[in-house]
Amino acid sequence: MAERPGRPSKIQTKGDNGAGAAPADRFAALADSTRRHLLEQVAVRDRAVSELLADLHISQAAVSQHLRVLREAGLVTARKEGRHRYYQLRPAALTELRDWLDELERFWQARLAALGDYLREAPG
Amino acid sequence: MKADIDATVSYPHPVSRVWEALTSSEALAAWLMPNEGEGGVGRYDRVGHRFTLRSRPAPGFDGIVRCEVLEVEPPRRMVWSWAGGNIDTTVTWTLDQTSDGGTRLRMHQVGFHGLGAQLTRRILAGGYPRILGRRLPAYLDQADGQAAPADCAQGWRSYLGIFRRWR
Repeated sequence: MAERPGRPSKIQTKGDNGAGAAPADRFAALADSTRRHLLEQVAVRDRAVSELLADLHISQAAVSQHLRVLREAGLVTARKEGRHRYYQLRPAALTELRDWLDELERFWQARLAALGDYLREAPG
Repeated sequence: MKADIDATVSYPHPVSRVWEALTSSEALAAWLMPNEGEGGVGRYDRVGHRFTLRSRPAPGFDGIVRCEVLEVEPPRRMVWSWAGGNIDTTVTWTLDQTSDGGTRLRMHQVGFHGLGAQLTRRILAGGYPRILGRRLPAYLDQADGQAAPADCAQGWRSYLGIFRRWR
């Protein structure tokens, strides 16, 4: 997946809060280095948009778009406090990504076992 | 956080035989998934060969994994692109002869763009106790938080349901 700094492409997800987004959507959201950077910032502690904007050389609109993709992918959640909007990591998403990778690993182990059966049984 | 899949298996069969099983459409259908080569080719052993692995569609996934042979060094190494269901990865196959004439096969799938070591380190160093101590219980207390694991399970099942069928 091509890294695309700047304005992110839209990623299809099921709901706005992103809790039901498929893990594959989360990986797609993480395909962008700016978004990975934003997520790392948010993982340390909750961040206001202005704070996230400070160490990036892109427009506020672009940052907001990236945050939206992260939110729709269920990786972060947003809350409003007064005039500020804060973003926080959605830790469950990390567990879900790990579970998904574990499941994919089990898929491959099952397929490689099936390859063993094939080699044993097929003529050749 | 680990963001790739790495599996190594040894078979008592010679490298040439395992290579055949990795590059023949018919063999792949027997152990991996039903597949179809672009232009009707029955072997995927040249750079640029494209094929699709087919399975049942699921929400957000059309049931097709698109592959292309990106690199090939017969009979030792082959790289496929592996794209579908919103992920775009590569699968690298490496074959080595074992001392008893068998084959050690390694499958390495990368490109999930997981979280870097930096994030993992930060979570472990600072955020993690807070996540476990405050956010996780808070999350678990939420009604929608309780629903999330089921959604999640459905999420990957809708993608991996594709694979399960062929287990």
